[in-house]
Amino acid sequence: MKTKLIGLAILLVVIIGAVLYVVLSDEKEMTEINGFVGGEKIGMLEDEEIQEILRDDYGLVIDYAKAGSIDMISADSTGKDFLFPSNQTALELYIQQNGTPRKSEIILNTPIVLYTRSAVAEALLQKGIASKTDGVYYVDMEKLTAAIEAGTSWADIGLPQLYGSVTVGTTDPTKSNSGNMFAGLLANTLCGGVADESNLSEILPRLQSIFQKLGYMESSSSDLFDQFLKTGMGAKPLIAGYESQLLEFAVENPDTWEQIKEDIVMLYPTPTVWSSHVYIALDEAGEAGIDALLDEEVQKLAWEKHGFRTGVYDTPTDKDHFGVDGIAEELTQVAPMPDAATMDAIIKALS
Amino acid sequence: MKNKKKLIVLLLIIMTLAGLFAGCGDDSGDDNHDSDYDGEAVLRIISGSENSELEPILEEFTAKEGIRVEMTYQGSLDIMRLLGEEEIPYDAVWPASSLWLSTGDTQHRVKHAESISITPVVFGIRQSLAEELGFVGREVSVSDILSAIQEDKFSFCMTSATQSNSGASAYIGFLYALLGNPEMITAEDLQSPQLQGQVTELLSGVDRSSGSSDWLKDMFLEGDYDAMVNYECLIIKANEELEARGDETLHVVYPYDGLSLADSPLGYVDKGDDEKEKMFLKLQEYLLSEDVQNQIQRTGRRSGYTGISDENRDVFRSDWGLQPDRVLSPIKMPASDVLFECLNLYQTDFKKPSLTVYCLDYSGSMSGEGNEQLVSAMEQLLIQENARKNFLQASENEVNILIPFEGQVINAYTARGNGSELEALYDKVRDQEVGGGTDMYAAAVRGINMLKEYDLSQYTPAIILLTDGQSAGSISDFESAYQRLDAEVPVFSIMFGDADETQLEMLAQYTNARVFDGRENLTEAFRSVKGYN
Repeated sequence: MKTKLIGLAILLVVIIGAVLYVVLSDEKEMTEINGFVGGEKIGMLEDEEIQEILRDDYGLVIDYAKAGSIDMISADSTGKDFLFPSNQTALELYIQQNGTPRKSEIILNTPIVLYTRSAVAEALLQKGIASKTDGVYYVDMEKLTAAIEAGTSWADIGLPQLYGSVTVGTTDPTKSNSGNMFAGLLANTLCGGVADESNLSEILPRLQSIFQKLGYMESSSSDLFDQFLKTGMGAKPLIAGYESQLLEFAVENPDTWEQIKEDIVMLYPTPTVWSSHVYIALDEAGEAGIDALLDEEVQKLAWEKHGFRTGVYDTPTDKDHFGVDGIAEELTQVAPMPDAATMDAIIKALS
Repeated sequence: MKNKKKLIVLLLIIMTLAGLFAGCGDDSGDDNHDSDYDGEAVLRIISGSENSELEPILEEFTAKEGIRVEMTYQGSLDIMRLLGEEEIPYDAVWPASSLWLSTGDTQHRVKHAESISITPVVFGIRQSLAEELGFVGREVSVSDILSAIQEDKFSFCMTSATQSNSGASAYIGFLYALLGNPEMITAEDLQSPQLQGQVTELLSGVDRSSGSSDWLKDMFLEGDYDAMVNYECLIIKANEELEARGDETLHVVYPYDGLSLADSPLGYVDKGDDEKEKMFLKLQEYLLSEDVQNQIQRTGRRSGYTGISDENRDVFRSDWGLQPDRVLSPIKMPASDVLFECLNLYQTDFKKPSLTVYCLDYSGSMSGEGNEQLVSAMEQLLIQENARKNFLQASENEVNILIPFEGQVINAYTARGNGSELEALYDKVRDQEVGGGTDMYAAAVRGINMLKEYDLSQYTPAIILLTDGQSAGSISDFESAYQRLDAEVPVFSIMFGDADETQLEMLAQYTNARVFDGRENLTEAFRSVKGYN
């Protein structure tokens, strides 16, 4: 008798459970997608507001592993739904190696800039390597490259407290995007136009000698930027990075930024290159990421909180909220990157 | 998320069912499906030894958040190697420098890496000696230091360049200086016979070595040495102790052309466990909070974005030579292929050759698994193909002595160099029969007596003793032999099985060495101890 009762009770519970299960499950199907992401976009993907929009409006959770833009193309992408490198060269390389992806789209844009400390910026101004217009610092790439190639020491430009010669610290151009793009920019500068196969043979040895001086290089832009801020002027006097990095840092760490803003200077190379963050969908699940990330609200947050100039947000309508001085309203001097074949040759030469 | 809701429903069902059964069965006295067990919150971190000084801060975190932090200390190079392995049995890594993190993390499994604090690798030289050498109150170059060493004006201790970040950093600094400060060290530079001669001579001035920076400091405090290369924060720590006991403190010298920075990155090893990730981020946020950054600064580390605060200036004492406002302008590390070539050359050509005496326990209690573990651990050290993976390969001039023992010394074998003799030594290790009692002192005494045949100034000597039980004999037998040797030879021991820790500690203390625990992982213990000479 007793066992029968128990049996009935179990049945009842199972039925109730099943009903509850169906009722509670009756909501948007949540998809989790996974991919490789360049370090500089992690702050954005970790943004709770953005995550909420992706979740509520698109039923999407984006998980990621950090990887350099070039590295991720050759890395094993089994089980990944997307790649999110930081330039179009990576896409071109992807196409060369794997054929046309399911879908790809530029999601964000940000220019390559240089970061330095006020004492270094001052010295560069004095030497005419940098200039200042309407509160915005610009660095003359030709003069800077000449100083690097000549082996000018920091002491020569009036900074005896710094050891060694003038260099621009970058991430490893064979692994990571900001370094890769800076190498492209240097290549352009060295040939006085846009580097291509016709002038490569002249440029490559010079490029190699510039990068050889750097020795070990970080493989992620965000690590390099973190080190720039923390290790101080001595360790990283001048680095290449993205405009978005500082803007995001200032929004995320307003108190710290307040303390250090006098000392940190952003310089726009003349000309510069755009880093176009292109999203490459590898499978159907990955495709959903494109629409979600192009959502108007997501794009707005990407600029306001993470400093990415976006498609929808072409010109920064409001840049005062960053509290960062010297953001260029618009960039008129922009050069195209060398094409993928040229960049590939550059990467090979620097490997 | 949907999955969570499903889980909740399932749990509800199970709990209701459990409740039903509990209600029906009136004999169920104690409910053993207690909810007490819900898995302890713990973060396992593999870290450079210098962070052991931060344990009180980590304990505060545990008290506050209920998340236990389990620290395992290893050299930065070991951490680098670990990152390349299939399985990483830790939740986070915390090497001394991001150099090893980026070099090791080829599979991109580390995320959220952020520098917790900065400390430069510097020379700490006895104050009076530093004054005598003219190193006080002026800028000093690596060459200045090298010429003083070459003129035999002082000797120093440093960690092994192939095991520990501080040693590697200092060594790279030496190479730059000896090459005349080129823009960058190249593979061709390293082939120069002149450089090779000079580095070898320089490293012959190394008094004692160590596999870990923190233990180098401890060893320094126990011994009588002129100088050490170590992290600024550990020199500060050493000085605090030296001053407290009324001894002469060290003067900090920042070689302007050979400085390196340890940026202490703490990174999460992503294995897809969201809960762990949250715990990790909590810890990182805690460590980077203003208050804790300030506490970290008080341990002599440079933390935060704005330099050393006014209230912490008393830690960075200028009378000890510290320069809190110095612009730390480090040398550039070579690219990884050249760096590894530097490290290989250090191990095989440049460093003082090791003279290692292995006293290994073959008593009856070692039979079976104990002996198997011992043989496979020795295989990692003696078979060069294995040793090379950990930068532990032998050099041409190295000497390895094997003394198997039980209640007495069984035999003694000597292998010179890194060739067939060494590999033959492994055969002896493997083929030796097990049985009898334990007298480690007899073996150690034999080792000491054999060392008398060598000019020890030409080697880095050490006795490595493995035992698994209470030893017969007494330390006094050892002490009298040791005194007759009249040289400092550390007796490192590896505790195994039921070894008596007090006996081993006494030996370690007497010879300024340390005890390694081989009970968890014997191979790991042998590898670590080998890194000390």
